[in-house]
Amino acid sequence: MIFRSADMKNGPAVEYGEPVIEITGVYKSFGSNHVLKDFNLTINRGENVVVLGKSGCGKSVLIKCIIGLLSYDAGSIKVFGNEISQLPIAELDELRARIGFVFQSSALYDSMTVRENLEFPLRRHGKHKSKSEVQGLVEETLKDVGLLDAINLMPSELSGGMRKRIGLARSLILHPEIMLYDEPTTGLDPITSGEIINLMLNVQKKYNTTSITISHDMHCAKVTGNRLAIIVNGVNYSDGTFEELSIIDDPQTHPFFE
Amino acid sequence: MNNSPNIKPDKEVPELKEGFFDLLPKGLTEFLNEAGEIARFAGKFFKQAFRPPFEFKEVLKQAFEIGYRSLSLVAITSFIIGLVLTLQSRPTLVEFGAEAWLPSMVGISIIRELGPVVIALICAGKIGSSIGAELGSMKVTEQIDAMEVSGTNPFKYIVVTRILSTTLTIPILIIIGDAVALYGSYLAVNIRGSVSFTLFFKQVFDSLEFSDVVPAFIKTFFFGFAIGLIGCYKGYNSKKGTEGVGRSANSAVVIGSLLVFIIDLIAVQITEFFGFL
Repeated sequence: MIFRSADMKNGPAVEYGEPVIEITGVYKSFGSNHVLKDFNLTINRGENVVVLGKSGCGKSVLIKCIIGLLSYDAGSIKVFGNEISQLPIAELDELRARIGFVFQSSALYDSMTVRENLEFPLRRHGKHKSKSEVQGLVEETLKDVGLLDAINLMPSELSGGMRKRIGLARSLILHPEIMLYDEPTTGLDPITSGEIINLMLNVQKKYNTTSITISHDMHCAKVTGNRLAIIVNGVNYSDGTFEELSIIDDPQTHPFFE
Repeated sequence: MNNSPNIKPDKEVPELKEGFFDLLPKGLTEFLNEAGEIARFAGKFFKQAFRPPFEFKEVLKQAFEIGYRSLSLVAITSFIIGLVLTLQSRPTLVEFGAEAWLPSMVGISIIRELGPVVIALICAGKIGSSIGAELGSMKVTEQIDAMEVSGTNPFKYIVVTRILSTTLTIPILIIIGDAVALYGSYLAVNIRGSVSFTLFFKQVFDSLEFSDVVPAFIKTFFFGFAIGLIGCYKGYNSKKGTEGVGRSANSAVVIGSLLVFIIDLIAVQITEFFGFL
């Protein structure tokens, strides 16, 4: 059974903007391991979609394909109407400036201070910013994640939660329109996890972002997602709101809500 | 990226007929495969090194990290090499009544062969392993992906800058190491005898010829290039996990050291062929 929100009589309660990410018939394999098979998902402006699925089912692969870190074997991924696989590298870089990516491991540059970590994408994407503008943006973004005091620390001096927040700040510094979160709360205690979830909600409000969140954390999925997509055997198996999916009596979907 | 929607990965691939490479031992095909990959990696370096944007600041930063931080190790080992070589050679030369040749013999040995090769091996150990481990850990912790997302070509920013830095810095380290080794030799000569600083170095430089210095100096650039290339290749292609990082660092040292000897062997053949010697 493949469940779609449209199957419900009432349909989704909130109307969103135009599609910003359109994934159509995407296939991705690693050798004989077929991770994504005819995967389809459309995300409209303002939507916050949480992608769920078992470990190794291709959730992280999906968002890495969206941002062009991985190539896909077949199908189409359009972001703001641009086919990712056909973009020249310069245009792909321009597009990436409109997308924030929060890595599972935070991926902070070990050899740089927090300030330098945040300055890095600014200098790379926004070449014409003056020193004072860069400094102002770095401080403002660090204030947003509540870590202005950590500005001169090295990543090795930060706790796991702080690293996640700095990772989030680094991806926010270019004021992206789309946020991709790869397991933002994995490995964190419930309190820190709650702080990260609150930050994600603040980001949605302040920057009016569209987002895809990869998560195993059902609390995070419930609070941050307007819509959930569950990957089973490489396809978008169930797609709907938390409330819709939680009442489905289906052996593939139900275990996520137990 | 193949984007044809008609291509399905489930499609069965016809079985390939056994070819020449299938008949070779597995170890040999793996070696050839690895050599091919390293050559391709080197090709990518040359392709990207001469295309803007140039990361001068990062090259300088890496040159400082690689050069300055290796200076003390190179100086200490070079000093010991010069000292020990002189102390070990002296009795034999005394036996033949050729003690006066000691500065010349040590000078030629150090400048031509011992200095470049030993210091390059030390650099393969220290610099090769540190580049391999650093890039490996960057790969494992997704820092390389983060760089790409930030609109940076990670190959250019990480690999090209490090290979350029080792290529330019290791020859300088070798020159400094040679000088320190000669100073060590001077001190060793003065343990048993009495030779002035000026006389010692005059004898050393009088015995050296253009053909001793230039080929020895040129090969140091190749040593530096090989050490940087292998360190970056191993780190950049590190497999996931901490075990992969350790393995990258280890194989960067092993292959880097082996390449130093191979380049040295080739350099000797070339200098002989052109009549430098």
